[in-house]
Amino acid sequence: MTSIEIGLWVSGLLVALVFLGMRVGFAAAFAGLVGLVWIFWSKRGYDPAMFGWALGVAVKTAGQVPHGKVASQALSLIPTFILIGYLAYYAGLTQALFEAAKRWFGWLPGGLAVSTVFATAGFAAVSGASVATAAVFARIAIPEMLRSGYDKRFAAGVVAAGGTLASLIPPSAILVIYAIIVEQDVGKLLLAGFVPGLFSALVYGGLIVGLAVVLKTIGPPVRGFTWGQRFAALPPALPILAVVVIIVFFVYNPFGGDAWGTPTEGGALGAFIVFLMALFRGMRWKELKSALLETAKLAVMIFTIIWGVLIYVRFLGFADLPGAFSDWITSLEQSPLLTLVLILLAYAVLGMFMDAIGMLLLTLPVVYPAVMALNGGEFVSAEDSAFGMSGPMCAIWFGILVVKMAEFCLITPPIGLNCFVVAGVRDDLTVQDVFRGVTPFFIADAITIALLVTFPSIVLWLPSLA
Amino acid sequence: MAGSASVIEDGSRLSRLDQMLLRVERALALVSGLAVFMIMVFAVVSVSGRNFFNAPVPGYVDWIEQLMPFIAILGISYTQRDGTHIRMDMIVGALRGRALWAAEAITVFVMLVLMVLLIWGTWAHFQRSFDFAAPLWSRDSSIDIALPLWPAKLAVPLAFSVLALRLLIQLWGYSRACWLGLYHPAAVPLIRSTAQIAAEEANAIGQERSR
Amino acid sequence: VEWNASLWGSRRAFTEHVEKLAEIVNEKSGGDFTINISYGGLSKNTENLDGISIGAFEMAQFCAGYHRDKNPTITVLELPFLGVKTLEEEVAVSNAVYSHPAVVDDLARWNAKLLMPTPMPQYNIVGTGEPLDKLEQFKGMRVRATGGIGEAFRTVGAVPTSVTATEAYQAMESGVVDTVSFAQHAHLSFRTIDEADWWTENLNPGTLNCPVVVNTDAYATLSDEHRQILDDSVSEAIDFYLENYGKLLDRWEEVLAEKEVQKVTISDEELAEFRRIGGEPIQLSWIEDMSAVGLPARELYELVQQTLEETRAK
Ligand code: NA
Ligand code: NA
Repeated sequence: MTSIEIGLWVSGLLVALVFLGMRVGFAAAFAGLVGLVWIFWSKRGYDPAMFGWALGVAVKTAGQVPHGKVASQALSLIPTFILIGYLAYYAGLTQALFEAAKRWFGWLPGGLAVSTVFATAGFAAVSGASVATAAVFARIAIPEMLRSGYDKRFAAGVVAAGGTLASLIPPSAILVIYAIIVEQDVGKLLLAGFVPGLFSALVYGGLIVGLAVVLKTIGPPVRGFTWGQRFAALPPALPILAVVVIIVFFVYNPFGGDAWGTPTEGGALGAFIVFLMALFRGMRWKELKSALLETAKLAVMIFTIIWGVLIYVRFLGFADLPGAFSDWITSLEQSPLLTLVLILLAYAVLGMFMDAIGMLLLTLPVVYPAVMALNGGEFVSAEDSAFGMSGPMCAIWFGILVVKMAEFCLITPPIGLNCFVVAGVRDDLTVQDVFRGVTPFFIADAITIALLVTFPSIVLWLPSLA
Repeated sequence: MAGSASVIEDGSRLSRLDQMLLRVERALALVSGLAVFMIMVFAVVSVSGRNFFNAPVPGYVDWIEQLMPFIAILGISYTQRDGTHIRMDMIVGALRGRALWAAEAITVFVMLVLMVLLIWGTWAHFQRSFDFAAPLWSRDSSIDIALPLWPAKLAVPLAFSVLALRLLIQLWGYSRACWLGLYHPAAVPLIRSTAQIAAEEANAIGQERSR
Repeated sequence: VEWNASLWGSRRAFTEHVEKLAEIVNEKSGGDFTINISYGGLSKNTENLDGISIGAFEMAQFCAGYHRDKNPTITVLELPFLGVKTLEEEVAVSNAVYSHPAVVDDLARWNAKLLMPTPMPQYNIVGTGEPLDKLEQFKGMRVRATGGIGEAFRTVGAVPTSVTATEAYQAMESGVVDTVSFAQHAHLSFRTIDEADWWTENLNPGTLNCPVVVNTDAYATLSDEHRQILDDSVSEAIDFYLENYGKLLDRWEEVLAEKEVQKVTISDEELAEFRRIGGEPIQLSWIEDMSAVGLPARELYELVQQTLEETRAK
């Protein structure tokens, strides 16, 4: 049996384990370990006397991964960004944002849902983790929508979809991970996320208004706020601006001078500011302890998937599945744009089964060089390129597209992390409920992605200024 | 239900073991949370040290990389205790009674096999970095300021061993439930009914108001 | 026979000898002996020695400075101001050290046998703003430099700062560091040259030593013919590497001119002073520390100096 066939069999095993209800990170690790044993044993011709050797080598190879792969400075952004999310909850920022959004946008058809989307977009500016955003808004927005008579599945879907905005609007852990994998400028990538992130929020908002006009099952508008009440709701949400400024200035100084530091430092400083605000708002050891435990729990949940998937990825490396894919992509004789669209479609399919970070970690080492080659290479000029943009700009554009795809896969069944998190926070909802409620947002995301592919300037305008 | 579920506590020996282990698990998870907090403090010290005193923290990256395994792994058993590690429950969720307990017992058993193997593998990883004869017992060190790596590497098999104990308790709990045909077994994560959740939610809101 | 080789990053000047070796071995054995090169698929770069020790793959590249405690003996080659000037000299001193019995034993702990060096030029620094050509100007300068080179900069009042290679560009752009110390290929591939106003051409503070090793069991179980082919191909692979890196250095000159990066030449007196403060004391304390754990440190150090003299005499 060739190693590629082994790779396919083991991938089948992974899918089976996941469907049978084994916890995802462990299923990936188990499949990867089985695959490693298989590969090493096959190298010794399946000699029964060598099985013990193959098992030992496989176990020790897998045993390197949990420590080795998580001991990374870039990944330290994930727990810090999760912590920001929980601290912002205790600092009252989530409630303040939601309240302000409700008073300003509640009068629209589907007003509470639109408000939720805009509040999550605002919160995305202090939160780098989509799942954390979904988790905190599941606590505050869903009960309010339920009280106004919203369908509980739709309410959950709004929060799950709104939560994904945190990955595009900076700070974003996943954009940083992309930048680190492909060795591109983190600052420009974070900047590039701004406009597409706001754009996505507008598309979500438009979709909700449209649905509310057509279907009457979505809750009624919330009216009756005076202008005075509206402006009164703004100051409590203002501190978020301070955090935005810190994070932006640590990425890029709009006034043309040096930035203040690296993004990893900016993230941690942002967390510190929110921490001080939470102290000011009355957070004490009891609340801090619970924020730290919640952060630890969510971080462990994500990191278990990361190292589990990476054991599986290590096996794929030995089976050389990525190499086979790379050869195949570059041998295609069709227009580069069509290939790109097919790659994005493949991400949509892959994203159905994989966690976003795992998917990027798994694919980018292979797919990124292929896409850069499609455009004409790392150093190509805009005139000579296939997509009409220079090499570095293509890296940014593709990064935003991929992250948008990753957001998409946070809400697609069967493994959509955001939907799991919302269902996890709200135990009256099953994962299936959330998946059903989030379905309309697939369409919104598909429209957004199509526009980003057709009009790259939505993505590239801001970073080209920096 | 993908997320956290409740665990029944009673006076049985199994439940007492569960609660003993929970104390250990919660302590480990808190260490993990405090490590996140330290990363935040480190950055503040580093940025202010650099900008105000031209004295960045030596080996900043090395220290962060030392902390990360504690953050990422120490809480693994705490997260398993109430079933927070995510999974697809379309098939399991449709099962009831003995069939459900049997299915849970099987996946927990596979996880236990995996963890026993990974304890071996991660212990070997630790051993390669550890040498009683060497200064600081170190046979593997970080790139910048040569911190010994073995403490962070040791944390992994340690956390995995606690998880293996947790999986043993859950395996016992599920097997017993399957054997005796129980409805509300202790010491394993259970899916709560909507009514229970609503009651708890109301309680929580009441507490928040009275604050 | 099919071997796996674990490298990292992407194919670059730094990996051309392994690529060439794989090509020659395949050719000479008529396709019976192949070496599959993986860039990061089989292991993390700092864990390549672990993978060799386990037997997960048969060949790997790593840098001594990534993990001093894993390979204390070869860190002699990363001491600051050893005085190595050319890539040929780097090859000569590396090979001499690699065949010393203490070094062989050191690597044998990892089930590894040193096959060939990856000669790299000196880690000169790039910076922005006014060029630094006097030692006193180094005071307070934040420099991205690791290990012994970082220590050397510390002795003249500079502040070595932890930044990963991939974050170096961002760190320089944001002013987290003022200067970055790299070999030329890394200045090019991590784009620190794009930010630079100047580059020190003769500071020559030291370099990293990144050998290629093979798993001893895999090496021992090769047929005599295959082992012969592998051993004989090394020098050819190194020659190809040197030629290729030479071309890169030519391109480096062009890039400097194109980006109007100023070449800073530091006077002999300043260099002698730097060596006196930042070279000898660090070399001596290395010898002391390593001797304390029972390694023949002075012998290794003298072996380097002696080999340098012999190479220059030729
Ligand atoms: Na964000
Ligand atoms: Na998905």
